[in-house]
Amino acid sequence: MKRRSFVFFTMLLILALVLSGCNWWGKSDSNSKEGSNREVVVGLVSEPDSVDIHRTSSTGEANTPLYDTLLKLDNDGNIIPNLITDYEVVGDGKEVIFNLKKDAVFHSGKPLNAEAVKLSFERLVASSPFSTNAGEIESIEVLSEYSFKIKWINQFAPFFINATTPFLAPLDVSVLNDKGDGFEKNPSGSGPLKLIEINRGDSIVYEPYKDFDWKGQEPGFDSVKFRFIPDEETRILEFKKGNVDVLLNVPYQYIEDLEKDSEVTIKRVPGDVLSYLGWNNKLPIFQDVNVRQAIALAIDRDSIIDNTLNGEAQAVFGPLPKAAFGYSEKIEKMATNKYTRDTDAAKKLLSEAGWNETNKDGVVVKDGKEFSVDLWVDDDPANQRAAQVIQSQLMEIGIKITISVKEAATIIEQTPNGAHEMLLWSFGWPDADVLNFLLFGKDKSKRLHYENEKIYSILEKGAIEMDQEARLKLYEKAQEMLVEESPFVPLYVKENITAIRNFESFEIHPIEGSIEWTSVKVKE
Amino acid sequence: MSSYLVKRIFTMIITILGVSVLVFMIIHLIPGNPINHILGDFATEESIRELEIRLGLDRSIPVQYFSYMLNAIQGDLGISYITGYTVVEEILNRIPITAQLAFFSMIFGSITGIVIGVIAAVKKNTIYDQLAMLLALVGISAPGFWIALFLILLFSYQLSIFPISGYNGLYSLVLPSITLGLGTAGSIARMTRSSMLDVIKQDYIRTAKAKGAGVYRLIFRHSLQNALIPVVTLIGMQFGYLMAGAVVTETVFALPGLGSLIVSAISTRDIPTVQGLLLFMAAMIIIVNFVVDLLYTKLDPRIQYE
Repeated sequence: MKRRSFVFFTMLLILALVLSGCNWWGKSDSNSKEGSNREVVVGLVSEPDSVDIHRTSSTGEANTPLYDTLLKLDNDGNIIPNLITDYEVVGDGKEVIFNLKKDAVFHSGKPLNAEAVKLSFERLVASSPFSTNAGEIESIEVLSEYSFKIKWINQFAPFFINATTPFLAPLDVSVLNDKGDGFEKNPSGSGPLKLIEINRGDSIVYEPYKDFDWKGQEPGFDSVKFRFIPDEETRILEFKKGNVDVLLNVPYQYIEDLEKDSEVTIKRVPGDVLSYLGWNNKLPIFQDVNVRQAIALAIDRDSIIDNTLNGEAQAVFGPLPKAAFGYSEKIEKMATNKYTRDTDAAKKLLSEAGWNETNKDGVVVKDGKEFSVDLWVDDDPANQRAAQVIQSQLMEIGIKITISVKEAATIIEQTPNGAHEMLLWSFGWPDADVLNFLLFGKDKSKRLHYENEKIYSILEKGAIEMDQEARLKLYEKAQEMLVEESPFVPLYVKENITAIRNFESFEIHPIEGSIEWTSVKVKE
Repeated sequence: MSSYLVKRIFTMIITILGVSVLVFMIIHLIPGNPINHILGDFATEESIRELEIRLGLDRSIPVQYFSYMLNAIQGDLGISYITGYTVVEEILNRIPITAQLAFFSMIFGSITGIVIGVIAAVKKNTIYDQLAMLLALVGISAPGFWIALFLILLFSYQLSIFPISGYNGLYSLVLPSITLGLGTAGSIARMTRSSMLDVIKQDYIRTAKAKGAGVYRLIFRHSLQNALIPVVTLIGMQFGYLMAGAVVTETVFALPGLGSLIVSAISTRDIPTVQGLLLFMAAMIIIVNFVVDLLYTKLDPRIQYE
């Protein structure tokens, strides 16, 4: 019996060791940076589902540096040439001729020419769930080695801003297998980082791509490792210990502590994601504009930002964040003047809407029914805290809020069906067309369910207006109407907070919020 | 014995089938679907429809289930909706870490638990007994994430003995194994103590003592071996607990195992991955319990399966 038990446990041990893949003991500190002081380790919360830009639904620092974009944004948010050197809008605006720069090369060593871009677009349109970003393409014609023409079924003005995002970045289709798949194992884009290995669930490792335009300098690092550390405390400890050099999305409660460390630099860049308080505009309770404006007037954004986000956000009153094309200072000022907190004015508006009695709990009542709504919020602790502040602010004007915490997946699925009353949610897109395709477009108002023919028609014109100045004017008009109608309450744009250590230089794009790899130089 | 084996294998198959139906139903009943996760804000009616067809979600639930099971029997657990990897590939990539974690936490939990349990039984009603049972209680009640952070702060952050997180060989599994094994150790210690106390009262122990058997021979040769039968049952049952605990442990220690995979698969409603993983885990638990049942006959020759 003893011998058999011994044999059994020995076999189990051998099995475990075999499963460990020979590296049975490992290094004393698996993630220390000994012997690789030019390696940059970036700590991230979650792993991207894929590095294939035509497949992923989670673009971020860990997968987008594989790709160089067709156009890009400068530090002021203007669209400037990148892989595309120039373009010409032809005829009625349904056709655009693009010229490519001539020295770009994919990571595979193959030239990034018009034919390659055409193949990449064809794959995007055929297989990507995000093909809407390219518009309804009728045809792509290769005019010469570095020139191609795209013809759309209808004019598609957002194409140029969309071309600054990695969604439309060209990838090397020639590396795919017979099934048109396999990019994960053989990825080839033309961005600053070239993939070395993917360790699923653990890390993605890149090296600087030598043929990228490093602005006349040598890359300031030898490799980049993106480590996925879901637990907040663990991530912070890894950074404090020095095993992680770049900590993205630093949780607010740790900023003060990290700032005390003289070796740590905190970088703040305004994000492009606008958090808002929305509601199902189809519900009778929200039909009256006075009610909607009263809610907007009851909200004190600064109090939410100070109490829930450590002050690390910027209040927004207008419908678009500053980073989006179509943002207007004029609209922002107008909205700020109109909706700076004024509870007396809010109560007056509610009273005009018929909510002029209050019950013993201080909740306003109309026709015997109290103003009580359910607010959906996801499981992000900061959002839950914000929901609590909103709950208390709305109670001050007699609106009772019940908070329901739901999984993001549930909110995404159920809000298009109108199952919600109120929600705390956000959106982020670099173009004002987001007002059309997501927020207020005809049959596209997925979460707000807002219907307004006049606003529809302006937003639809904006989507096909190829003249950028005229387009801006259209969006200004639409936003003016939205401010007046108040179908939602824009709240704030959170800051993207990054903590870094041991760099001579390290920049983050002020609009896109992504790491500028050409600026990164590790301290030697 | 062979008729018992046939019966047990048949029961195992029925259980796995039952689990598959339950898992399939639950994953389709919970709110949220993969289409919304994949398409997000870019979803249009047309793109939703296209993706539904591509993923096979346009078929009725029973058709989806039978088609899934037909493939599963042939070893094909489908392709992840989110990552595009096959589920088998995902499991094979991650199983080594979870297997090692489960194995070493089981070893740690069993050895620690049995030692503490024996000490408590032998030193019954002394300070050693009370201390041992207090330790067992802490092991059972302290939450995994708290133990994990405590160990990380002490052994990784302050003393720099072990890595904080990530996987690179067994060295990086020391703290996770202790974290996960502590709960098991607590339960085993309590079971060992009570089982040992029962055995110590038996006549044959008194006889052995009368014949002049030494303390160690009494404990390890005569008492412990007989006291281990319920403990082995508990160890088998703890395997399920370890699988559940691995979810938290792998998340805190950033280990790329099955636990962290299932967390991300559930949050993205990656149906094939969740189904494949749960089915796989259920099969593992059923098999481990089966092996434990067979072990009884080795531990106690009086037990015979007919």
